[in-house]
Amino acid sequence: MARAFASILWRGVGFFIVLELMLVPALLYWPDFDKHVAKFRAMAPLPVMRNIIDTLETGGVFAYVTGQHFFKGCNTLGVAAAVLLSVGAVAGEAHRGTLEIWLARPVSRWRLLTERYVQGAGALCIPVFATTLTIPALLERVNETLPYGPLMWSAAHTCLLLMAFYSLGFFLSTISRAPLSIAFVLLFFSILQFAIYLVEKATHYSLFRLTDVERFLEIQKRGGLDPRLAAPLVLVSLALYGASLWTFARRTP
Amino acid sequence: MIEASEGRVVARGITRRFGEKLALAPLDLEVGPGGVTGLLGPNGSGKTTLMRILIGLTRPDAGEASVDGARLEGDGLEIRKRCSYSPGEIALYGELRGREHLEWLLRGRDREARERGLELARRFELPLERRVHAYSHGMKRQLLFAAALAPRLRVRILDEPSEGLDPTKRSVLLEMLREDAASGTTILLSSHHLGEVDRVCERFVFVHQGKLVAVESAASIAARANRLLRVSYAPSDGLAALLEALRVRLAPLARQVSVRESELLVELAGDDPRAVLQALAQHAGAPAPRALEFGRASLSELYRDLYGVEAC
Repeated sequence: MARAFASILWRGVGFFIVLELMLVPALLYWPDFDKHVAKFRAMAPLPVMRNIIDTLETGGVFAYVTGQHFFKGCNTLGVAAAVLLSVGAVAGEAHRGTLEIWLARPVSRWRLLTERYVQGAGALCIPVFATTLTIPALLERVNETLPYGPLMWSAAHTCLLLMAFYSLGFFLSTISRAPLSIAFVLLFFSILQFAIYLVEKATHYSLFRLTDVERFLEIQKRGGLDPRLAAPLVLVSLALYGASLWTFARRTP
Repeated sequence: MIEASEGRVVARGITRRFGEKLALAPLDLEVGPGGVTGLLGPNGSGKTTLMRILIGLTRPDAGEASVDGARLEGDGLEIRKRCSYSPGEIALYGELRGREHLEWLLRGRDREARERGLELARRFELPLERRVHAYSHGMKRQLLFAAALAPRLRVRILDEPSEGLDPTKRSVLLEMLREDAASGTTILLSSHHLGEVDRVCERFVFVHQGKLVAVESAASIAARANRLLRVSYAPSDGLAALLEALRVRLAPLARQVSVRESELLVELAGDDPRAVLQALAQHAGAPAPRALEFGRASLSELYRDLYGVEAC
């Protein structure tokens, strides 16, 4: 457990650092963005992008922060992290031949898999919350203030989508011996989802509509998660985790 | 429902199929309590699949099993608590030091097991502070074996524990096995080194194409070896017909007579080969044998001769 924990911990720390490195310059750029928003709109090549900029302008600093941190940072890096943290969970062990010794100890498969699932989920979600906690302090540097509440609810909402991706990767890992193949498939899928998001007529079919700036503005308005969005995401993750347990219980080394 | 009792390994009707391949036909097995039982058979005969099923790593398609009183149920956790296992594959976590890896392997065991594991590793002179990626194949095997022998349990299942070891380390391993067996542990041992199997096992279970083909004790093996007569002829035209004629002629004088290529294999009913030799000498047209062996056969030769099965 310590071995897996150390490995996951380093990946989580790495994810936190990269997220924060993206967040700091983005937030410090806010005054310039606010001043030149009309120019950005003029430069945007696609209608969907112009709509995003319109939303950022009307939503103010909260929209800008959530757009930069959750929509851009967490959706791109987060999905990559979800894939990297999940695909090796079981398939990685099978790929390097250590599945047999991992399973041969007197520890139940349910426990082995749950430990790994929770560790990966922690490494994925804790950096999202941790970086979100630094936002108010960073905003003070540009003379802006935001309360923690809506930001943390937005972080929770982002984590729900990331967890769905993570759970999908985790499930595929329990039925495969090829982590790299799963990673490529999932990354291709996520890039496809981003591509769909940018197409005006298809944008509503993209999964990333679930975590775009409009959703975060709704969260700010509600003062909490929208159960119509949150519940399906939670159910998807739970169903995939349950399926992972079922397939892992039958997995042959 | 099978009887589940302490120190015993019992399997009834165990079947396992991987796609089209039938890895284990309905197989029955009883081992222990106590003693070292050798599980022998050629590659792909089903030994590893059987061991993995017994330890709960692979689910059987049908059948039931128990190890040290624990029935094979669910993911086999109860069995793994009562039985240690040394896997045939030796992929380890190279980034861990030997000591850390030993502790990792012994997760779920008590403190005494961890201390004993370290003691056994020291007997192998393993460099426990070195990272495992720097270990040789044999050193990795020794680490797995030390972990399997460390917990004080009544049953151990060891899949080729000596594979890749040099003769000195193999002797140390066999000595440890003997000590463990002397304390009453039941050991099911798979190995391709028939010489060492011969040295430590009291019982032999032969598996071929997923089926159990023979169960023998060391004493019965020795007795059979003493009754096996092998007569080899130089290849020639008409040899096949001659050997067939000899087989028919000798059949009433022996327990079993079989022909393999240019050899005649005779399992005598008793210890005295003279009647068979006399019949051979008197057979019209029989050429002089090229070689004649009696009373000395290795374990592998014996099984090849008796069962037509390559032991390893």
